[in-house]
Amino acid sequence: MQLFHSIALSAEVNGFQKFFSELTDSFDKTFIYQDRWQFFLDGLLATLRIAFFAALLGILLGFLIAAVRSTHDMRVAGRKSRGFGDVLLKILNALCNIYITVIRGTPAVIQLMIMYFIIFANSRNKELAAVLSFGINSGAYVAEIVRSGIMSIDKGQFEASRSLGFNYSSTMFHIILPQAFKNILPALGNEFIVLIKETSVAAYVGISELTYVGNLIRSRTYEAFFPLIAVALIYLAIVMILTFLLKKLERRLRNSDH
Amino acid sequence: MTTNQDVLIKVEGLQKSFGDLHVLKGIDAEIKKGDVMVVVGASGSGKSTFLRCLNRLEEPTGGRITFEGVDITDRSVDINKHRQKMGMVFQQFNLFPHKTVLQNMTLAPIKLLKKKRKEAEQTAMELLERVGLADKANAYPGQLSGGQKQRVAIVRALAMNPDVMLFDEPTSALDPEMVGEVLEVMKKLAKEGMTMVVVTHEMGFAREVGTSVVFVDEGVIVEQSAPEEFFGNPKSPRLKDFLSKVL
Repeated sequence: MQLFHSIALSAEVNGFQKFFSELTDSFDKTFIYQDRWQFFLDGLLATLRIAFFAALLGILLGFLIAAVRSTHDMRVAGRKSRGFGDVLLKILNALCNIYITVIRGTPAVIQLMIMYFIIFANSRNKELAAVLSFGINSGAYVAEIVRSGIMSIDKGQFEASRSLGFNYSSTMFHIILPQAFKNILPALGNEFIVLIKETSVAAYVGISELTYVGNLIRSRTYEAFFPLIAVALIYLAIVMILTFLLKKLERRLRNSDH
Repeated sequence: MTTNQDVLIKVEGLQKSFGDLHVLKGIDAEIKKGDVMVVVGASGSGKSTFLRCLNRLEEPTGGRITFEGVDITDRSVDINKHRQKMGMVFQQFNLFPHKTVLQNMTLAPIKLLKKKRKEAEQTAMELLERVGLADKANAYPGQLSGGQKQRVAIVRALAMNPDVMLFDEPTSALDPEMVGEVLEVMKKLAKEGMTMVVVTHEMGFAREVGTSVVFVDEGVIVEQSAPEEFFGNPKSPRLKDFLSKVL
C-alpha cells in the first residue's frame, strides 16, 4: 500500500519535473539559444520605428486634409465660387475626398502590398514602404477625426476671433485647433493604438518587425507558445504605455475645465 | 451740419440675403463719433444681421459700408485690419475657454498690434480693474458667472483700443440679476465717449443712454429718432405696436 503510494507520488513528481524542464527548454530555445532575444529586440525596434514615423506622417496628412476640408466647408460650400482661390479649394477638396474614400475603402494589407510590390518594386528600403503605406492609411482616419474636432467647436469662437481682427489661419491656429485637439485626443489615441497593432501586417510582405520575428522563431523552433505569447505581451505593453501617456496628456489639457 | 470727418460709419443701401430669404432690404444709417445708436426690433427683423454686417461677419449682398472713410465692402480691402478698430460683444460671450481671462484679453493685442506682453498685460489689468474683475485675471472663463463673462468680453474688445463697439444683444443670455452689472459697464463706456452700436431689448438702456434709437422691421429702418421722441412720440403704427408690446 505504502509502496503503491510512493510510486504514484514519484510519477507525479516526474511528470511535473518533465513539464517544467520542457518549459525551460522551450524558453531557452525561444529566447536564449543563439541569442534569439536579440531578434525580438530588433523586431520591437522596427515596429516602433514604423509606427512612430507612420503616426507622424498620419498626423501631418490628417491635419492638412482636415484643414482643406473644413476650410472648404466653411467658405465655399453653399455659395457661388469666387475667383481662383475658391476653385483651387474645390479641386483640393475633391482630391481629399477621393483620398479618404479610397484609403478607407480598401484593406490596409492590400495598400501595403501595392506600395511594396508595385511602387517600391525596385527599392530595397522595405521599412520606408511600410512607413509610407501605414502613414497614408492613418492620415485618412486622422483627417476625419480632426475634422470632427473642428466641427465640434462653437461657431461663436470663430466669430469672436475674427471680430478681434484675426485672419482665418490665425483663428484656426490660436483658437480652434487647440480646443479641437483637446476634444479629439481620445479618438486620436485610439487611432494610434490601432496603428501600432496594424503594423503587424508588415510581416505579410516580409518586413522583419515584431510579428514577423515571432513567427520566424516559431517556425525555426517548432515552439509556438513562447514566441507568440511574447509578441502579444510586447504589443500589450506598448499599448499600455501609450494609453498611460495619453491619459496624462489629457489630464494636463483638462486644466481649463471647471 | 456735420463734416464728413465726424461720420465714423456710413451705411448706404445695405442688403443681405440668405439664399431666398431677404433679410436686409436697403438700410441707410450714419453713426458719428461718440454716438450711441441703439437698434431695437422684433426677433427676425434683421437687427442682428445689420450689426453683423457692419464688421462683415455677415457678408453684405448689396450696398456700401464706409468705416473711417474706407469702403469696407470692397473686396480688395483687408477687413481684418478694420475689424481691429471695431470691437464686438456677443450674446453668448464667446470667450476662449482654453485661455485665462488675461490671456483672452492679451492674445489679440500681442499678436495683432505687436504689443509687448508686459504692456498688453498692464493694459488688460487696468481694464479689468475698471470693471471690477482684477481678481479674476487668472481664472478660466468656465469659472465665471454670466455677467462676469460678459464684462470680460467687453474689456477683451476694449483691449484692442477700438474706435467703435458693436454690441449684439449683450444681455439677452444673462440671468436677470446679472443684466444690471453689464449695462452699468456699457453706460460708463458711453459716458466716456465711446461710439457704440447696440442691438438690445433693454428699452431702459435705449432711453437712458442712446443718442439715437433705430427701429428695424422686416429688413428696413422704419423709424429713427432721439430717445425722448422715439419713446414719447412714435410716428409709425408698426413702432407704436412694437412699443405697446415691449413697454
